[in-house]
Amino acid sequence: MIRRLVLDVLKPHKPSVIELSLVLSDLEGIEGVNIIIYEIDQEVENAKVTIAGNAIDFENIKKKLEEMGATIHSVDEVAAGKRVVEEVKTPQDRSARM
Amino acid sequence: MRFLEKIRSYIKISGVTPISRRYFIMNAFDGATTILGIVIGAYVAEVTNEFWIMWPGLGATLAMSLSGFVGAYMTEEAERARRLDSLEKSMLIELKNSVVGKAGRFASMWAAIIDGLSPALAAIVCLTPFFLSSRSLFSITLAVQLSIIIALTIMFMLGVFLGKISKRNMLLHGVKMLVVGLIITLVFLTLKISQ
Repeated sequence: MIRRLVLDVLKPHKPSVIELSLVLSDLEGIEGVNIIIYEIDQEVENAKVTIAGNAIDFENIKKKLEEMGATIHSVDEVAAGKRVVEEVKTPQDRSARM
Repeated sequence: MRFLEKIRSYIKISGVTPISRRYFIMNAFDGATTILGIVIGAYVAEVTNEFWIMWPGLGATLAMSLSGFVGAYMTEEAERARRLDSLEKSMLIELKNSVVGKAGRFASMWAAIIDGLSPALAAIVCLTPFFLSSRSLFSITLAVQLSIIIALTIMFMLGVFLGKISKRNMLLHGVKMLVVGLIITLVFLTLKISQ
């Protein structure tokens, strides 16, 4: 059972993030959606879409995004199971980041 | 309800509202002006039968509507197809079946309907006195006068509407549009006097 999904999405300017977030949040198994635009080009924009829920259906989300004219570039984070497990920081991560 | 929501969403996504507003004003003005021309021309020619005004008026209405519908559809369709192609190149995916493609197709049809209906609506309202006159409700002279007043009122109201959407002086915009109708009327009345 997917509980959290973070996607990198490429979308046209219209439909807007407001419409997109409302459509996504209307899907079954989804409790909340957050969309942040982090890059804007002349015709398209890149968005980080964070979806939280108790039974997120990835295929359903992918289909809905395509219907809205958007496309998934990458799946950046997934949390699944009975509870959401946060990313654990390790010394290796720290040294890798330095 | 779901259908209306979809229509609302297509209108929003395609951004067709300003275009259809322009089409509506432009073509309603065309409709009123054309009928004003026909009616005044008929008055100068001293037409005594209302059907001689109604039929040319209805013919012109049909021609304006059809020309408006086809012209707007072809223009909008071509313009939106070009824009969709460009967006598909940026997205690297096909958008024909997405809400973007559907909204574009809807917008072409919506603009065409507005473009086709607006001159017909204005023209038919202007011709109404002749329909009533043909039912012997009043004389053809009164029908001519009423039709001219209606056409000039429509022109004035369209100007007021323009003033309202541009948040400028509504009265001034109304008068500007009215002047066009008055010019047509005065030119023809002068012709009649000099006959």
